[in-house]
Amino acid sequence: MIWRFGLFDSTFEPLLSTHWALLVALGLPLMLGMLAALFPPKRAWPVVLASVPVLASGLMLLSAYDQAGLLRWHWDIAGVQLSLRLNGLSVLLLLMTQVIGVAAAIYTPGYLRLSETGPLARWLWPLMGVVLSALSLIWLATDLLTLYAGLELMGLAAVGMLMLSGKVAALVAGMRYLLLALMGSLTYLLGVALILGHWGRLDLQGLAEVVEPGPVAWFAAALIGAGLALKAALFPLHAWLTPVHENAWTPVSALHAALVIKASLFILLQLWSILLPDTFYAPRVIAWLGMLAIVWGGLLAWRTDSLKTLVASSTVGQLGYLMVAFPLLLGPDIAPLPRALAWEGFWLQLMGHAFAKAAMFMAAGNLILATGESTLKGLAGTSRRLPLSLLVFGIASITLMGLPPSSGFTAKWMLLQAMVISQQWWAVAALLTGTLLTAAYIFRMFRYCFDETAPRHRYQPLAPGMDLIALTLALIAFALGLLAHFPLELMHGGSP
Amino acid sequence: MTASFDATHSLDAIEVLLALFLTASALVSLFDRHLVRACYFFVAFAAAMTAAWWQLGAPWLAAVELVLGVGLTGPCFFYALGHVVPGASSPLERDKFSEPWSRVAMRVVLALAWFVMVGAAIRYVVADMAYAPSEHPLLVAGVVIAATALGAFALHRHLLRRLLAFNLLGSAVFMLLAGVAGTSATAQALISVGLLVAWLGSMLGALLIRQLVHLEGVEALGRDGKPEEGAT
Amino acid sequence: MMTMLLALALLWPLVVIGWTLWSAYRAPAAYQSYFSALWLSAAWPALLLAYGGEAQWTMDAWMLGGEWALNSLSRPWLAFTALLWGLAAIHARGYFATEQAKAQEGDQDTQRRLLRLALLWPLTLLGNVLLIIAQDIASFYLGFALMTFAAYALVVHSGTAEARLGAKAYLMLAVVGEGLIIGGFLWAAGEADTLTLQGLREGILVAEQGAWMAALLCLGFGVKAGAIGLHVWLPLAHPVAPAPASAVLSGAMIKAGLLGWISVLPLGDEQISASLAQFGNIMLMAGLAAAFGAALYGVFQRHPKAVLAYSSISQMGMMTALVAMGLVAPEVWPLLWPGLVLFAAHHALAKGSLFMGTSISEHLPRWPLPLVWGLLALPGISLAGAIGAGMISKWGVKSPLYEMHHESLIKLLSWAAVGTAALVSVALWRQWQQRHKGGSNREQWGAWLVAIAAALLTPFWLPLPAGSIEMPPLKEWLGIMWPFPVGVLFAAVGWLLTRPLKGKSLPAGDLWWLYAGMVGAALVPIRRLGHYCAKLKAASVVSAQKTEEILMGHLTRLLSTESWLRHHVSGLMMLLAVLLAALMMWEGQR
Repeated sequence: MIWRFGLFDSTFEPLLSTHWALLVALGLPLMLGMLAALFPPKRAWPVVLASVPVLASGLMLLSAYDQAGLLRWHWDIAGVQLSLRLNGLSVLLLLMTQVIGVAAAIYTPGYLRLSETGPLARWLWPLMGVVLSALSLIWLATDLLTLYAGLELMGLAAVGMLMLSGKVAALVAGMRYLLLALMGSLTYLLGVALILGHWGRLDLQGLAEVVEPGPVAWFAAALIGAGLALKAALFPLHAWLTPVHENAWTPVSALHAALVIKASLFILLQLWSILLPDTFYAPRVIAWLGMLAIVWGGLLAWRTDSLKTLVASSTVGQLGYLMVAFPLLLGPDIAPLPRALAWEGFWLQLMGHAFAKAAMFMAAGNLILATGESTLKGLAGTSRRLPLSLLVFGIASITLMGLPPSSGFTAKWMLLQAMVISQQWWAVAALLTGTLLTAAYIFRMFRYCFDETAPRHRYQPLAPGMDLIALTLALIAFALGLLAHFPLELMHGGSP
Repeated sequence: MTASFDATHSLDAIEVLLALFLTASALVSLFDRHLVRACYFFVAFAAAMTAAWWQLGAPWLAAVELVLGVGLTGPCFFYALGHVVPGASSPLERDKFSEPWSRVAMRVVLALAWFVMVGAAIRYVVADMAYAPSEHPLLVAGVVIAATALGAFALHRHLLRRLLAFNLLGSAVFMLLAGVAGTSATAQALISVGLLVAWLGSMLGALLIRQLVHLEGVEALGRDGKPEEGAT
Repeated sequence: MMTMLLALALLWPLVVIGWTLWSAYRAPAAYQSYFSALWLSAAWPALLLAYGGEAQWTMDAWMLGGEWALNSLSRPWLAFTALLWGLAAIHARGYFATEQAKAQEGDQDTQRRLLRLALLWPLTLLGNVLLIIAQDIASFYLGFALMTFAAYALVVHSGTAEARLGAKAYLMLAVVGEGLIIGGFLWAAGEADTLTLQGLREGILVAEQGAWMAALLCLGFGVKAGAIGLHVWLPLAHPVAPAPASAVLSGAMIKAGLLGWISVLPLGDEQISASLAQFGNIMLMAGLAAAFGAALYGVFQRHPKAVLAYSSISQMGMMTALVAMGLVAPEVWPLLWPGLVLFAAHHALAKGSLFMGTSISEHLPRWPLPLVWGLLALPGISLAGAIGAGMISKWGVKSPLYEMHHESLIKLLSWAAVGTAALVSVALWRQWQQRHKGGSNREQWGAWLVAIAAALLTPFWLPLPAGSIEMPPLKEWLGIMWPFPVGVLFAAVGWLLTRPLKGKSLPAGDLWWLYAGMVGAALVPIRRLGHYCAKLKAASVVSAQKTEEILMGHLTRLLSTESWLRHHVSGLMMLLAVLLAALMMWEGQR
């Protein structure tokens, strides 16, 4: 499990160009965000231009990993050890972050122009830059200090982003999110304190070597688990998520649902795999909660009246799929084959959901923007007037429902296979129920859209490309299932 | 890991006093319904924390605490209260939200459980704590404050009080961190980041509270504990 | 040449249909002639084909592989069928003259009905011709089904309540029959792995369940042939159908059933199994029962066409018995079948002219009465075997039976002929009672006269194998002729005896009413069950809706705990941390 996260010594030193690529990947989003705060882009093309070097840096890191395998960086600043690593998984997640971030950024100018967002809009850019940089840092960091800093940076910036819309509801939801996120990080920090106190070090690679099961590891794991579960909106600590998404701007919701909550989950899995390599019950608890999450999220999405709540509640349910895989990834006595399958399925599901959910939020945002209605009933008649937005929504739903050949299908197939091999029938049942519920709420939404008897409204025309960006993301989610070979290859990482 | 405490054994009395003062001011700050007074006590708490850092041999942290805790976070709260000029009255002076007793009881139980858990965890890390808890008065104070602050955080509905609870919990956690890990460079870095985050969070929270009061009135601050009113 | 004739014979009815459709579409209603000269000619190419000589065609592209032939059996069959169709068409033109005039005056309903008849008449003919020349199962079945279903329009033409009842009876039994036929075909053909009728016969002969296959097919064709029990549509449909339609129904189409039997049963084969012979016995008995029962029932009918329908049933009963002989006594079949064909052909023409005669008696021409009534009686007398072709055909079936010593059957057939005689005399009597003045037109009586002549002279024009039919020797004449006077006598005595029952008669359709009653009785519980199911469904829908409402209410309440969760996130987080820690400590202690 540890080697899968790339926590071992590298064979090669990174090249100079790789250093630069790393710097660009970590720093450029931040710089561009600051720049955009000074000169807010009114059109999409400057954003497209600016995103080229960001994506290029990601691709360069990918090729560097391709050539040299695992890469590590170490710094010792005034006695503080900082370290980064670049393995297949982190490259993959980095690329995902960059693509979704760039898509959200390209989407933003059109959205801001059409929705008349007021003077706070320019602050969106630096916050977005901070979030993207922090996310990139989190995928790469291998010491608890950097992870903590990245997590906090990301969390605070995310709270800021979510509250920019300035509505009272958004402020209330955002305040709740801020307090809970801060509380979650303090709980996490308490766990880190125990680790630091007991083993005296914070680098993951070193910890992986010295940690042995014992009360300290367990307490630390419990504290870290609870804190990060709160930040990752794992059931039953998810309830802050829906109002936050409902009131935020579309690109912000997309970024947050697709990436920000995943970062906490990533850290959680990584730390638990170090602290709890052979614990039986803790991953089981998470999995049981995950089953509940699948059902609960599905039911919430099924019964809601608001489109954004539907999309946000579906996130709760989809996170449940990831939680259900915990015992396969962490538990003792899991055979290598189901463990490998679960590992691949977990990350594929995470990425598929990220792309699909971002696309879905954008499509939902487009529908809401065009119709001026945020309820499902307000969507009546959109089938004729906004077919492209509905198409995007549909393609994204295919991934969420797990219909072949989308990435959702491939991921769930792998998870199912792993569960069947290790005979976790409850998880299988939860997975299938979740698929049914997903279909139920998706088709409920489409039923409203295809209501042809609705009176004709005046629809606000969308900016060019807003649908296309969403479509691209949805198609990526779809294609990840067809071309799953490439990400799966990367995920395996080189074993030491 | 407990090496830093050996040097300070002679100054036990000061430490105990400090710990007592920290605990007392934290409790007042957490549970006083008169919010201006609670904020004053928070500033006093932050000042005591500065002294504690100094006492623990971390002048750098003391400086940071002085600047961030006393100098910046405290004013944040007064700003949120609308109590910038001393003596001016504010609509936020008192917390008027009342909690049902079941909620209170549940939080007390949770806080106790949390206290036991954190205490047990610290005991496992600092092995000699089990035999001589009085030798680590700051650690004990940290555990007490952490549990109480978390309980208070879960209990209160008033956003400002929750923000206060968060800050006190933060300080307690930093204290525990320093207690179990000493004041190594790594620990100091962690605590510095934490302090920075706490200040940023408090500032953001204070801004939000102001904005909410401006938009919706005092009632909006307690909305988190009540059923939704169609706003969220 | 023959191939061209064949193509013409099959395509010409289609051309006629197309022309009729086109002219109906194009010509204004006032000048509309539904029965043009072209329409009359629909059957003529088929008649020509029958006289063109024997031939054989194989067409692989046609359906499952077409196999058509004109042989010693199908040639005479086609000849009398086509002749009757042609004559009936001419008669129809006269018969429908008044209706056509009405249609030209602009009566929409009449226009519609006439157009329907004019379109479906050639289609029925086409089916009839196709089934006669077909030697492969698919073509045969196609022709049979086409004829059966297209003939519905002929029966229902007048559109009255009785006509609709008759048509309903016809259609219901036809559907049952088609079902039986296709079931039998699929079974037998599948068993024998063949696509031709020849193969089917051989298959039935050797198959273990051959008797059951034969029974299925015989029952299916029996609907059309009016076998006893399945005959009920005949007396219901004939009185209400137009006279020319009755003529072809009773003359040509009823024979299609007979041809079906001859085509599928392995008649005259020496290796017939015991079970098939047993089946033959049953068929023989059924035939004789029909011959006598129909006569007994028919004499009490009021409507002349109903009487004639019973006569048809009786005659077909005799033919059934003769066909059954092919199974019971295979050695007699090679000698018997030409006589049977002659019998069928003569019956077709005679019955056709009798049915046309009913329309003559309703519009008596201004001829001397004895001449008219003599002419009306002639085909009946011939049918009873007293004169002309009737006598020859009786001899044609009698002599082989004599040779093979089946005297008892001969006796029974002779007594059945008594019934025929009685029936035709009753029919004539009823015609006399219901006669009308009012002049029939040229086509009407012309076709009728030709039909009478053709009926009387059947052996002279029917292309049977040479030497297969001969005149009966003089000493046998009495033995053949005696049933007629006896039958007339019986009828007269019976009339005298039943005079006290004045005005009372048995309803036409005999068993139909029994069937209808039985089905009705069987439907009562089914209907009740249906009502119950409908009620049950309504109740379950209501309760399901209620349950759904309750469930949704529960669900909504359940989902409202989401806001509780929202306000207790921090408490839950504390709980989760404590829980996880306790769990891991507990696990670690174990």
